[in-house]
Amino acid sequence: MSSEAENLEAPPNTEQTHWLALWEIVSVVTSCLIAEWVVLSFAGAGKLITTVPILLALGLMAFSHRERGETLREIGFRTDNFLASCRLLLLPTAAAILVIVAIGWFMSHAIFAGHFRARYISLPLWALFQQYALNGFINRRAQLVLGKGPKSIALVAVIFALLHLPNPLLVTLTFIGGLIWAAAYQRRPNLFALALSHTVVSMTLALTISPNLINSLRVGFKYFG
Amino acid sequence: MQMQSTKLVHVLIGKSILETVLVGALAVFAFITILPPYFHGWGEVTDTGISGWVVNNATPWDRVEVQLFIDGRFQATALAGEPRPDVSMAGWAKDQWHGYTFPLASLAVGYHEARVYALHDSGGGARKSLQLVGDPVPFFVAEDGKLVKPASR
Repeated sequence: MSSEAENLEAPPNTEQTHWLALWEIVSVVTSCLIAEWVVLSFAGAGKLITTVPILLALGLMAFSHRERGETLREIGFRTDNFLASCRLLLLPTAAAILVIVAIGWFMSHAIFAGHFRARYISLPLWALFQQYALNGFINRRAQLVLGKGPKSIALVAVIFALLHLPNPLLVTLTFIGGLIWAAAYQRRPNLFALALSHTVVSMTLALTISPNLINSLRVGFKYFG
Repeated sequence: MQMQSTKLVHVLIGKSILETVLVGALAVFAFITILPPYFHGWGEVTDTGISGWVVNNATPWDRVEVQLFIDGRFQATALAGEPRPDVSMAGWAKDQWHGYTFPLASLAVGYHEARVYALHDSGGGARKSLQLVGDPVPFFVAEDGKLVKPASR
């Protein structure tokens, strides 16, 4: 635990560092909102231009990591604490699956009755990408602004929920998931374990809850169409 | 963890500028695609209806579909393909076939306002938009059923 704590230590808490980290968070969140709401509404889905704000955000994150001297291991792309992180996530993930299955049973008297879609194959990669952006970047910057603990964890959860508007069920679930994953990351920074938990929960959700309730996990402007 | 914050600030500013340009460009692109500013035309009241002309300058040889609304309610649709030699002679169109006429009957006596809109397809027919051609056309329906222009101020 102590060996992991060292890579989460904040640099000297100068006011400049706070503002800069906050600006980085706002900038990445803005890119996501532009991709979800502006580009999709103006250009439509499946257009190459949709990737522009995502690539800009990725570029910023990569540059920021380099400027701050953060290594891949520090960010959470590591295997040494994978099992420890999985153990940490096991109970909340299992609880989430049970709750989702219970809701599914209550609503349609069926478990895992949904159709498996080809796009679910890419879910682990998509989950890893989301966890990297959310925890590997936003959580780390949130800790620079608010310090390690409940405040930064809450900020990460609020941001994660915000990015799932206007889907009401996903906003609620991602807020709860955001709290759990952000707290787990602050204790054991491992993005692979977070992505595994994220994938299992998302898959359970997609296969159990009626698509008209979660609108096929759609968010942003796509939610309406 | 020493960092050169100036570089990071520059990157953040540059990214913001690029995103602003992207959003602005998309807004202009979407507006031009859905509500292209290429339609020109005019409408006026005659004794028996509303007539006028409309040209799509982006495709000046095409006939434009127009829709008539009276007092905000849809009345009729037509293809602007009637001869209007005055329009082409004035240089508004490449040919004369851009006129339209909407005969009007059974309107209540009194004041009304007509608006003629050009219909435009975009997104391969996924969207249709209406744009006002010229100005709204105010008129009165007299007791004998004739349409009368309001007295000019």
